[in-house]
Amino acid sequence: MKRGGLAVLIAAGCLLAGMLAGAVPLTPVALWRGVVDPSAPSAEIIRNLRLPRVFLAFLVGGSLGVCGAALQALVRNPLAEPYLLGLSGGAGLGAVVAIGLKLASSWAVPIAAFAGALAAVALVYRLSQVEGRRLDPRVLLLAGVVVGAFATALMSAIIVLSDAVQLRNVFLWLLGGLSRSSWEALGIFLFYAIIPLTLLFLSARSLDLLVLGEETAHHLGSNVERTRVIIYLTTALLTAAGVATCGIIGFVGLVVPHAVRRIWGPLHRTMLPFTFLVSGCFLVLADAVARTIVRPAELPVGIVTALIGVPVFALLLRRTLA
Amino acid sequence: MRYWIGLVLLAACTRTGANSGNLVVVDDAGDTVRFAHPARRVVSLIPATTEILFAIGDGAVLVGRTHWCDYPAQAASVPDVGDGISPNLEAVMARKPDLVVMYRSGSNAAAAEQLRGLGVPTLQFSVDRLVDVPRVARALGKVTGRQASADSLTAVFIRRLNQVSVPRDSTPLRILIVSWDQPPMAIGAGSFLSEMVTRAGGVNIFQDLSAPSAQISIEAVVERNPDALLVSVDGPPAIASRPEWRTVPAVREQHFIHVTSSAFSRPSPRAPDAILELVARFKELRP
Repeated sequence: MKRGGLAVLIAAGCLLAGMLAGAVPLTPVALWRGVVDPSAPSAEIIRNLRLPRVFLAFLVGGSLGVCGAALQALVRNPLAEPYLLGLSGGAGLGAVVAIGLKLASSWAVPIAAFAGALAAVALVYRLSQVEGRRLDPRVLLLAGVVVGAFATALMSAIIVLSDAVQLRNVFLWLLGGLSRSSWEALGIFLFYAIIPLTLLFLSARSLDLLVLGEETAHHLGSNVERTRVIIYLTTALLTAAGVATCGIIGFVGLVVPHAVRRIWGPLHRTMLPFTFLVSGCFLVLADAVARTIVRPAELPVGIVTALIGVPVFALLLRRTLA
Repeated sequence: MRYWIGLVLLAACTRTGANSGNLVVVDDAGDTVRFAHPARRVVSLIPATTEILFAIGDGAVLVGRTHWCDYPAQAASVPDVGDGISPNLEAVMARKPDLVVMYRSGSNAAAAEQLRGLGVPTLQFSVDRLVDVPRVARALGKVTGRQASADSLTAVFIRRLNQVSVPRDSTPLRILIVSWDQPPMAIGAGSFLSEMVTRAGGVNIFQDLSAPSAQISIEAVVERNPDALLVSVDGPPAIASRPEWRTVPAVREQHFIHVTSSAFSRPSPRAPDAILELVARFKELRP
């Protein structure tokens, strides 16, 4: 766990920065007063908007990062990520269908999103398996992008054609944003995320073996098929919970695991917790930028993560294909 | 002799040419459009111009309108050609118009060019603010031969706007004009709704946003602490039950001003009435 203490310290600093920044900038003293005293100035903002928002950003960011790390191990491709593999698109489609048909309360939207994410990942996997050949990571990535684009097209069609008032500005929500954060939203996310997160952390050793190749992993006594199912199900559920609460936020799971692997090494037992920590901080800071850069207006946070993530993706792509 | 006849004919032609250019309108895109005769078959691709054409004539010149033109009630009997932004040109041409009026926007500029290429005079207007109503009414009066009606409509409109009186002694109500709830979006200074609130004696708390509408942070709403929320949605707003919105005191106290009339969704000749309605609603909320 080398450099672990420092990482935790920096993470705490990021959370604090996220709590101080915003439409209403706060001093640490004002923040503390707002937390302990409900009648303090800005207490309402701090207790019911700022804190749940920063915690939600941290949890969603961390989950997306861990999803990216697990998917990268599974398909042995550094470019794998919930957004690029089409999971986020599928989850968004599921959520839009549920909202459009007025089927779902905010507690049930993640289930529809989960169904969408699972369908997308199954389709991506099927498309990328060419008869009699090994899974080609590049084909997998293409399949992910194509399925994601198709899901986006279907969502746009539903949004344009539907008369449902609720869907009118859904495209903004689909750009990703934490503006609907509340303690309730945080509760909904945790409810769906706690089990898949635990399962993923417990799969650290299987992921280490998977990186060596499926055959090697099998010979070393790993149940490859079971690991694969676990990873698909957990990443789909985590992505779905994230999309249902904050819309589609891309590239978090791409940028962070790479940096973490370079600093803490590739072993998932250490790499996964640090990925969670750093991804969480990444989204907290990205959201702080989204909240403050055009104050009092706000940017969708998905725009900020894409502005950072796409150049990183381009760099990685060059290196992978070189 | 033949030479003289030729010259006379030429002169006649020139004079006809001059006559056909008599009706010249420069639209808001800066394009000069000439009319040979007053327009008799108009497709109006802006709900506000549909209202204006009914107000200055009886709407008899209208042969097409957008899907969203819901006022006056007689507009329903005018054929619907679909959307006003990125219009369906085939549906528009099928009405055989001699004038198309469309909203001035980036995506409509190409459509206007295409229509002119097909020989249909097309005018683009920005109808975003109250001040646009008299200007557009005068231009439409001119091209449809209803200049006198347009002038009187304009005069009445301006007089009624200036007649709105608000109690000057009390502090103005601070209003959040909601355009969407998730993500939260508000109307800024660039919208006629903001003007209407100001004219009715209120203050738009997002006056500093120059855009007509923008995504805003709920924290900023809490900090600016509006006295009431002006909501113009079709159904009951979900705002009252959203946890993040309930951090705003005016939301918890249910200080909502619902406006459902389409007079609040576009600048139109009805704006003075809409402002008077706001004056009355603000009065109810004042302590």
